[in-house]
Amino acid sequence: MMTISHKSMEEIRIKARELLEKKDADGVLALRRGEEAVVAPHVFREPGEIGRLVTEPKWPLAKTAMRILQSSPRDFRLAVVVRGCDDRALVELAKRNQVTEENIRFIGLACTEEQAGRCLCERPYPRTIHGGKPQPGVHFLQDERVSSLLEGDPAERMARWAAILRRCIKCYGCRNACPICVCVPCKLEDDVWVEKGSIPAEMLVFHLIRAFHLSDACVACGACQEACPVSIPVMALQFAMRQALKDRYGYEPGLDGARKSPVLKNFLEEPETGKDYPAWITHGGTGHE
Amino acid sequence: MNDSFVRTICPYCGTGCGLILRVRDGAAVECLPDRDHPVSRGHLCIKGWYAHEFIHHPERLTTPLVREGERFRPVSWKEAIALAAERLRGTAEKYGGNAVGGLSSAKCTNEENYLFQKLIRAAFGTNNVDHCARLCHAPTTVAMARSLGSGAMTNSIEHLARAGCIVMIGSNAAESHPIIMGEIYRAVDGGATLIVVDPRKTAAAENARIHLAIRPGTDIPLVCGMMRHIIDSGLHNGSFIGERMEGFEDLRAFLSDWTVERAARESGISEAALREAAETFARAREGAVVYCMGITQHACGTANVFALCDLAMLCGHVGREGSGIYPLRGQNNVQGACDMGALPNVYPGYQAVGDPAVRDKFRKAWGRDLSDRPGLTVTEMIGAAGEDIRALYIMAENPALSDPDVNHVLERLPALDFLVVQDIFLTETARLAHLVLPGACYAEKTGTFTNTERRFQLLRKAVDPPGDAEDDFSILCRLGGALGLDFPYRNPGEVMEEIAALAPAYGGIRHGRLEKAGIQWPCPNTEHPGTAFLHKDRFTRGKGLFVSPDHVPPRESPDGDYPFWLSTGRMFAHYHTGTMTRRSAFLNREQEEPYVEIHPEDARKLTLEDGDPIRITSRRGSIVTTARVTGRVARGSLFAPFHFTEARANRLTNPVLDPLSKIPEFKACAARVEKIRA
Repeated sequence: MMTISHKSMEEIRIKARELLEKKDADGVLALRRGEEAVVAPHVFREPGEIGRLVTEPKWPLAKTAMRILQSSPRDFRLAVVVRGCDDRALVELAKRNQVTEENIRFIGLACTEEQAGRCLCERPYPRTIHGGKPQPGVHFLQDERVSSLLEGDPAERMARWAAILRRCIKCYGCRNACPICVCVPCKLEDDVWVEKGSIPAEMLVFHLIRAFHLSDACVACGACQEACPVSIPVMALQFAMRQALKDRYGYEPGLDGARKSPVLKNFLEEPETGKDYPAWITHGGTGHE
Repeated sequence: MNDSFVRTICPYCGTGCGLILRVRDGAAVECLPDRDHPVSRGHLCIKGWYAHEFIHHPERLTTPLVREGERFRPVSWKEAIALAAERLRGTAEKYGGNAVGGLSSAKCTNEENYLFQKLIRAAFGTNNVDHCARLCHAPTTVAMARSLGSGAMTNSIEHLARAGCIVMIGSNAAESHPIIMGEIYRAVDGGATLIVVDPRKTAAAENARIHLAIRPGTDIPLVCGMMRHIIDSGLHNGSFIGERMEGFEDLRAFLSDWTVERAARESGISEAALREAAETFARAREGAVVYCMGITQHACGTANVFALCDLAMLCGHVGREGSGIYPLRGQNNVQGACDMGALPNVYPGYQAVGDPAVRDKFRKAWGRDLSDRPGLTVTEMIGAAGEDIRALYIMAENPALSDPDVNHVLERLPALDFLVVQDIFLTETARLAHLVLPGACYAEKTGTFTNTERRFQLLRKAVDPPGDAEDDFSILCRLGGALGLDFPYRNPGEVMEEIAALAPAYGGIRHGRLEKAGIQWPCPNTEHPGTAFLHKDRFTRGKGLFVSPDHVPPRESPDGDYPFWLSTGRMFAHYHTGTMTRRSAFLNREQEEPYVEIHPEDARKLTLEDGDPIRITSRRGSIVTTARVTGRVARGSLFAPFHFTEARANRLTNPVLDPLSKIPEFKACAARVEKIRA
């Protein structure tokens, strides 16, 4: 199925209406279909409005939820319609003390198989599902473009990346759209690192600072890539790190609010050394060996 | 306490991207990309992402101001409107209606532009109304109207992605129209060849398969050489020319002077590169020509556009989805301001003021006698300030920064008997006014903007204007009423109905139809879905016309005293005169100070290092700025962004005009560079 079914949407509406009717939430952040079928984010306040709640298109809302909660009274309870990636993003934001999970009511929506394929999503469903059925995930190396960027001769790959990143118009869209990119001040605005006043943004400095800052936090929502006006596959910068954390530490950002990033933990929990890295990671060692 | 999300349109360039303003407690606090928008589809450039930052800036004008000596005194709206009406009417009574002029605004809505030109024409019986399109795409409207019958972009932005070859000439879209650049890259990803013609090594040029770094002002030699080679190689589209074109034999004869050898020599391009570019474009199944100020801002700007139209039509690259001619309009509503007749020679819908039947229609509709004489252009009105023009009404334009040779502008404007400026900030121009009226910015009003692909789009009010400031529609209605005009409109939607009744191309436009995706004109009736691309089976003028482009080199070229070429333009983080972007913290942080680009070898000769203070001087004036040493510019060339009031690039530019369109030659003059020693 291409998009979320009507049935799944109705299931989401039922949950949203229930939360408002039982006064279990002060508002529901979701998409609303307005005049002439135009869709935009909206905070639903009344159960009677819920008939306008829709679940398409994919529209990551975790960062917006965070902004709303941060400017609301401490006892404000916001329900959010979350796909898998939104769910994981809010978990990561809670770990970073940007939101408190107690203030959030999660209305879980599972993506369709087709959507999971388009997003190269390994886990296209939230922890708790209110609408839809969980579909199998997709591994990013199944995508030819991504595998061509992550596999093969390092010099060729470097040239390929350089050519792609030379398009960057420095809109900051990847940073602004990312639900986890919330540092204040942002390193990309630090004069020491990123040259101001010219495009393209430097490949190694701008894009790799961003990628590394998110290496143990990226929930693979793809918002960065979808926001890029010049078709840079920004997500592919994150896949390698995500995979390394998963393979080496069994860690996936956003699944477990209680589990801290391995990058932040001490060496006592370090698994035995000598584990093999995936073939597509450049040789040259990581310092762990 | 609640958050609302208001879908509206970006106030910067002519792409017309969709943005969503998040509003909290009456303040716009964030911009988000609109994923449901037909043009931008969830994308924004740096300016769009930060388009909320200037809205609540503390320097916003909040009350009308009247000049008293060197100072301004706040006054009530009643007093302000009475003063404006009395002084404008008094000027017309004393010197005649042609002593009054108005500069309308490409930043304001269609409805406001319509009311503005109606006010000037109906109240004073003059056609002295113009706006900054004169400084950007006047040659486009003149040349494309003659060659094709319509002076607008032929296709839709999304069609670019379907082209097989794109010639981008005199456009720095990666910085000035970034979302359109994204569409061009989509075409490249689909296998299209990108050819960039630009004296500078722009970001787009770096990403192009072929970059032709021509000498400044040699567009016509290059394009003529390409056309000559296409014809000589038999690559022109004979059946298209036979069925749909006229003037081919004249063009062929004209091109006999333009051998590839001569074209290559004059433009500074190798013959092989010129031939390759010509063949690639001609052989492409679908070809698009994208151009901007590098083509138009020349004393031969109109001829430059003729040359590009000729090239596209010679190959049959017009009238299909993947092919077309794409002038990229610079301002959010510069297309609309032209469409609404904020031009001295036409009423709304490009209906000539000299046509008696047209004039009679507008006379009946507006109930006033109208002039049959075309009015003065922007540069002519300012040049005549204090002489033929005694009173000027400027709505949201800033000629003290944007016009060529601004030293001259700064001399002329104070010579006016009365200058009224309506704006959102006290701009360099507003500082010279006798009366300042505080208007509303894009987030504070409703109405429509028309983007570069002719798409009427709804602007939606998100927040209130600050203090006593009012939306420009209301100000115009008040002033029109005070001047004795019947301006009975309750809202901008009613103005649109009047526009639709008078201009056939917009006959089907109603606010109620624009909610989802807007409508592209022509749209003659309310059943019509709009027009995604023009000239499908026949050109608007019937047959397409080849017009031979006469080459006129830049009027000023480097010499012993002024050894550099100087060109001006935009950089990615700022917009035009900086009124909005320099008051946006994030954008200003990206580029806080003026600079001028200079090639490393030239810098070495002048013992300049990056960041050194320099003085740039032309025959008009001089500015103090800093050197940016970069290989983006060619040896012997300088590039100056024009956003910076403390180093106005337009103190240097040459005010010579293209005879047909009256556009000034911003893109080429001679200058010298001096290092300033500490």
